[in-house]
Amino acid sequence: MNRRLVLVLLIVLLSLSLVFANTIELEFWTHEDPNRTPLEERFIEEFQEMYPNVVIKRVTQSSSKIQELILTAFAANQGPDIFNMSIEDEFAYIANGRVAPVDYEAAGYKDMEDLLASYLPGTLDPVDYEGEIYGLPLEITNWCILLNKKVFRDAGLDPEIDYPKTWEEMMEVSEKLTIREGEIITRRGFDFRYPYYLVAFMPLVEQMGGKLVSDDGKTAIINDEAWLNFLDYMAAWGPNGRNLGSPTYKNARSLFNMDNNDIGMCTTGLYQLARIKADNPEFYDSGEFMVVPFPQFEDAVNYVPAHYYGHYYMVNSQKPKENQEMAWKFVSYMLSHAEEYLEKVAIIIPTNELLESETFKNYPYSDVFISDLEKSTVVYFSESSAKIQSLIKEAVESVMLSGTSSRDALDTLRRKVQEVLDDQY
Amino acid sequence: MRRIFNMGIEHKKARWGWFFVIPSLAFFAVFSFYPIMNAFYTSLFRKRLLDLRPPKFIGFANYEYLLKSPDFWNSVKATFIFTLGTFIPIVVFSLLLAVFIMSRRRFHKFFQMAYYSPAVLSSVVAAAIWLLIFDPRGLANTTMNTLLGTVGKDYKWLATSGMVRLSTILVYFWKYIGYFTIIFITGLASIPQSLHEAARIDGANGWKDFWHITLPLLKPTTVLVSIMSMLQCLKTFSTQYLFTQSGAPTEPINVITLNIYNTAIRDHNIGRASAMSIILFGIMLFFTWLQFRVSKSGGEVDY
Amino acid sequence: MKTIRKQSVVVDVLIWAFLIVTAIVILAPIVFMFTASLMPSKDILKMPYPWIPKDFYMDNYTQAIRGNDGSFIYPRNILNSFIVAGAVSLSTVLLSALTGYGLAKFPFKGRNLVFLLIMATMMIPFEAIMIPLYLVATSLKIQNSYVGLILPFMINAFGIFLMRQYLITFPDEIIDAARIDGSGEFSIFWRIILPNSAPAIATLAILTFRSQWDNLLWPLLISQSEEMKTIPLYIVKFAMEKHTNEGAMMAAAAIASIPILILFLALSKYFVSGASLHSSRKG
Repeated sequence: MNRRLVLVLLIVLLSLSLVFANTIELEFWTHEDPNRTPLEERFIEEFQEMYPNVVIKRVTQSSSKIQELILTAFAANQGPDIFNMSIEDEFAYIANGRVAPVDYEAAGYKDMEDLLASYLPGTLDPVDYEGEIYGLPLEITNWCILLNKKVFRDAGLDPEIDYPKTWEEMMEVSEKLTIREGEIITRRGFDFRYPYYLVAFMPLVEQMGGKLVSDDGKTAIINDEAWLNFLDYMAAWGPNGRNLGSPTYKNARSLFNMDNNDIGMCTTGLYQLARIKADNPEFYDSGEFMVVPFPQFEDAVNYVPAHYYGHYYMVNSQKPKENQEMAWKFVSYMLSHAEEYLEKVAIIIPTNELLESETFKNYPYSDVFISDLEKSTVVYFSESSAKIQSLIKEAVESVMLSGTSSRDALDTLRRKVQEVLDDQY
Repeated sequence: MRRIFNMGIEHKKARWGWFFVIPSLAFFAVFSFYPIMNAFYTSLFRKRLLDLRPPKFIGFANYEYLLKSPDFWNSVKATFIFTLGTFIPIVVFSLLLAVFIMSRRRFHKFFQMAYYSPAVLSSVVAAAIWLLIFDPRGLANTTMNTLLGTVGKDYKWLATSGMVRLSTILVYFWKYIGYFTIIFITGLASIPQSLHEAARIDGANGWKDFWHITLPLLKPTTVLVSIMSMLQCLKTFSTQYLFTQSGAPTEPINVITLNIYNTAIRDHNIGRASAMSIILFGIMLFFTWLQFRVSKSGGEVDY
Repeated sequence: MKTIRKQSVVVDVLIWAFLIVTAIVILAPIVFMFTASLMPSKDILKMPYPWIPKDFYMDNYTQAIRGNDGSFIYPRNILNSFIVAGAVSLSTVLLSALTGYGLAKFPFKGRNLVFLLIMATMMIPFEAIMIPLYLVATSLKIQNSYVGLILPFMINAFGIFLMRQYLITFPDEIIDAARIDGSGEFSIFWRIILPNSAPAIATLAILTFRSQWDNLLWPLLISQSEEMKTIPLYIVKFAMEKHTNEGAMMAAAAIASIPILILFLALSKYFVSGASLHSSRKG
C-alpha cells in the first residue's frame, strides 16, 4: 500500500515539476534597512516583469543576526541564492568555495577586465580571489568624523578652525567639550566607534607604523612601540585616565542625530547623513554639523584614514547554473540604480559612473569622504578576522577598564592572535 | 492463583506505562538524542562550518586542545562563578518568598504577579532595560549615589570584571526569582492543609511548623528547584551575549555557552564547539547526579 | 503569652516589609520601562531619572507599531508569539501529564532508565544542537511555518519531571477504585488525573508559555518571512535601527509585555485556588 502511495506521489511531483520546469525561484537574503526595502521591492517587481519565469523572495534580518542565519543555512547546504554581508563575514564563503564567481556576461560585462574598469580601482580587491571576482559591491563605506557645531561653540571653540586634525588635538578638544557630574560624563567630546576595532582603531596603530599581521601572514603584532603607544592612548582616554568616555557609554553615532547636547563628535560614514535627515529633519536643515577627515597622529609615519569596508552581493555556488545566471542578472539590475541608492539610502556603490555624476558631487560632504576613501585601504579580512577583532577588543578593554598595563595586554594579544594564525588551515 | 492474577496486572500496567511514555520518547529521539549524538560525532572531527571537503577524523584532539586552553578554563571559571553566585541566592530567596507569601492571608495574587512579572519580559527586552539602567548616566548609578550618599560616583556596572559579573547575576536573579517562587508555591500547595492544622493543635508555632513540616515535605520541590535553577545558570547565554555586544568586557563573563556560540558562529569551528558542548553536557549531568545523590530520597517522599 | 504575641507582631511587620520592599525592587525596572516608553528619548537618561512622564508622549508607541519600514507587521508578530507559545504550552501540558503519569504510577522494566534519559535532555545546551536540529527541520521541510516553530518544543523534560513529582503523591486508591469501577486507563487519565493536576498544569503552562515567549535563537533560524517572525525577532530588528530611540524601544517592549501580563493576571486564580483544591482531595 505504501509503495503504491509513494509511486502516485512521485508521478504527481514529476508532472508538477514538468509544468514548472521553467520557473526559477531565487531566495535573496539581506540585512534590514528600511530605506532599501521599498527600493528593492520595486526592483524585484520590475525584474519579474522582464523575466516572467523568475520569482524572487526577499528575506530580511537585523544586521547583527544575519550572519547566524546565513551561516546555519549554508552549513546545512540550504543557503539562499543571493546574499550580502560585510566583507569580513563574507570572505570565508569565498575561501571555502561556497559562492560562485561573477557571471560577467549575465551581469552585463564583456569580461573581467570590463567589470574591473567600471569600478573605482581597488574596490573589488577584497573579492578578487584566485583570478576571479566573487561579488559585486552594494556599498563601500569609509568613516570620517562628524561634529556638532553647536557643542563646539558652547565650549567656546570655533568648529571651522578648532576641529581636531590630530589624535593629540582630539584628546585636548574632547577634554574641553566634556561635561561631567562627578565621574559621570553627561556630555562627551568624542566617541570612538566601539567595537569596530579593525575598521576604526587599526588605523591608529598603522599611522605609527604598527601592523596586525606581518606581510607573509605568519607573525602577529608587528612593531611593539606603535601598539604600546596606541594602548597607552586608549588607557589615557578611558575612565582610569582622563575619563573622556568608554565602551560602556551609549554608542554616540545615533545620539548624535538627536542633537541633545550630549555628544560633540562621532565616527561614522556618509549614510549617517540620511539617518539624520530621517531622525531629526530640523537638525539636518539647520546645517549645524560638519564632516572632517579622520585624524592622524602628530608624529605619524603613515597617512592612514579609517579603513573602508564593503557589502558585496554574492551568489550561492551550490545552486543550479540557471539560478546563478539569473541571480547575477538580478544583482546587476539592482546595482544599475546607483544614483537612486545614493539619494534614498545614502550608500555608495563605487562605480566610476556614480562617482563622476553630478548627484554624487552635489551630495553634502561627499568630497570629504571620497578624499579619505582614496587614501584608505580595505579593512583586514580573513577567515579569522572576527575572532581577531574580538581579541583586539579584549586588549583595549583590559587597558581602558580593568587597568591592565599596556605591556601585559599586548603580550596577551600577541599570544592569542598568533595562536589564531597558527591554527588556520 | 493470586500470583498469576498479580502478574497479569503488572504486565498490563507495564504495557500502559510504555504506552504513556512512548510518544515523548519518540519525540526526544528526533529532537534531542539524534542532535546530541550528531554533536558528539562532530566533536571527533576537525571541521569548519563552511568547508565542503570531508572533515578529518582526529579522535579526541579537540578535547585535548580544550583541556589545555587557558581560554576554555577561563570560561569554566566564569560559568562557575555565575552559577554559584546566582543559583544559591535564587533557591534561598525563592523559598523564603514563597513561604512568606503563603503565610499571608491576603495579596497572594499581587505578590506572585509582582515577582513573576520580570519573567514575562523576553530576554531581549530585559537586556535593553538593564543596559539603560547600567548606563553610567542610568538608574543604577543615581540610585546607588542616593542610597550611599556619594556624589557623581560611577560604579562602572559594565566595566570592571567584578562589577560586570555582579551585573549579569543581578539581571538573572531579577528575571528568574519569580519563576522559582511559583514552583515553590506549587510545592507548598501540595502539602495538605490538615498537616499544618495538626501541627498547630500540637502547639507548634510558625517557625517550628516551617522547620518540621514544611521543609521536609518541600524536599522534592527544593531538589527540583535547585536542579532546575542550576541547569538554567549553567546554560545562561543571552544576558552575557547582549552585554558583551554592548561594550562590556568579554573575559569575566565569557561563560561556556557564549564560548561555544562564538567558536561555532564567529570562528566557524564546529568540531571544537561541539566538543565544548559535550563537556558542558557532561558537567551538567554530573551535577544533577550529585544533587540527586546528596538528597537521596529525591522524589520518593511519602506523606 | 503577651511577649509571644508582641514578637509575632514584629515578625509579621518584618515579613510584610520584606515582601513589599522586594516587590518594589523587582517592579522598578518594569515601571521604568513603562514610564520611559512615554517620554521623549532625551528625558530618559536625565540624572536623576524623572519617574513621571511630563506629558504622555505617545509618538513612541506609534513608531513601535508602525515599525522601521512602516509595514505594521508588529501585531502579526505578536499574534505569532501567542499562537506558538499557546500551542507549545498546550502540547507540553498534555504530553507531560501523560508521560509523567506513566512514569509515576506504572512500574515497568527500564522505567528509571527512561526517566534518566528524559532528564538528560534538560542538560543539552541549545547551541550544541542548533545546527543538527536545523538539518532535521529542513529535511522535514518545516522551515518558515508554524509547524517549524512549534514542533521541536512540543514537550520538554522539565514538564515531565514536574508532572511526575506531582503525581507520585497522588493516592493510588483513587486510581484503583476507578479501575474497579471499570474505567479504562485512558479515561482514568483524562477524567481523574488531568482534572486533579490543575495546579501543576497551570504552573507548567505558564512556565512553558514564558520560555517560548522568550525564544530567540530558533525562530531566528527557522522563520524567514516577516509574517512568520515572533516578538523577540521584531524587537531585535527594531532595536538595531532605533537603538538610540530608547523611548520607542521601551514602547515596543511595553507592547510585547502588556498582553502576557494580562494573561498571567487572568490565570493567577489557579495558583491561589491550587492550595484548597489539593487539600480537599486529600481530606
